Amino acid sequence: MAIAGEAQQRVEAYLNRIRGRLRGLRAEERREILEELRSHLLEKAATGGMTGAAVDAALESLGRPEELALEYVTDELLARAEVSRSPLRILDSLFRWASLSIVGFFVLLGAITGYFLGVVFLLVAALKPFHPETAGLWASRDASGDLALSVHLGFGYAPVGGREVLGWWIVPIGLLAGCLLVILTTRFGLWCARLYRASRALPGRG
Amino acid sequence: MPVRDALNPDPVSDKWEVQLRKGCLELAILAALWGGRRYGLEVLRRLESDSDLIVSEGTVYPLLSRLKALGLVQSEWVESDTGHPRKYYALTTAGRQRALEMAAIWARFSSSMSRLLAPLNEEK
Repeated sequence: MAIAGEAQQRVEAYLNRIRGRLRGLRAEERREILEELRSHLLEKAATGGMTGAAVDAALESLGRPEELALEYVTDELLARAEVSRSPLRILDSLFRWASLSIVGFFVLLGAITGYFLGVVFLLVAALKPFHPETAGLWASRDASGDLALSVHLGFGYAPVGGREVLGWWIVPIGLLAGCLLVILTTRFGLWCARLYRASRALPGRG
Repeated sequence: MPVRDALNPDPVSDKWEVQLRKGCLELAILAALWGGRRYGLEVLRRLESDSDLIVSEGTVYPLLSRLKALGLVQSEWVESDTGHPRKYYALTTAGRQRALEMAAIWARFSSSMSRLLAPLNEEK
């Protein structure tokens, strides 16, 4: 039984590495995933006589815990998106992806940038009526003389030496650009997750 | 398979084969559940014995979760004599419907491909 005990420990160590990476999934969901994998590993190892080699083989054919956890996380993102495309839910899943892989990190970075710009455009369009003199898209020369564009939400003073570019057009253009950015960013996140998932779907052994 | 390797030294062909298999995995899993409920390891064994899909084990479990999230399968825990409960999956009505649709598309597709490929296969 000493061997079986040790085998059990290695299985638990493997499952713990997955557990740590499934943070954020609902507790019930996480518990089911781990229970199912435990059941799989122990049954496979038992078929091989519960020897150290049998446990190793079972663990190896299931793959690295980090990668397996990632598949659950990206799958969850895709399944969630079928139900709701709320940027908050998508960002929440992307944060988890980013904590697991460098690819996820860059996808998150892209998504944050996209959503941020989208929100800025929506905000400036919404604030223009309240700060007609100072809110909008401003062009100005920076220290080296290059033209720089900046968005001002209208709090404080208008930029010194700057010139407003779009005037009241910022309202429709800002609304349109903001909505487009949010929609495209959501699509971008889902597209990356699908691409990642497809690349992982069947690495195979052959 | 040395014959295939001799015919396809080009890695592009291997890549293509991998893509083909990936595309079939969802249908293969639904088909493996057609005869009744099975747990993960049974699904894997069925795929291995009845097809040469060469499925990575770590792929099937997340995919089963996803099929469940999509409402195509449902699951239940059943105590087993191994001392560990097993998670059994069964097709839902929507899952059966989806499997039938996919199988019909597959049949149409493969018969038209076979017709198209007949001259190539006679060549061998």
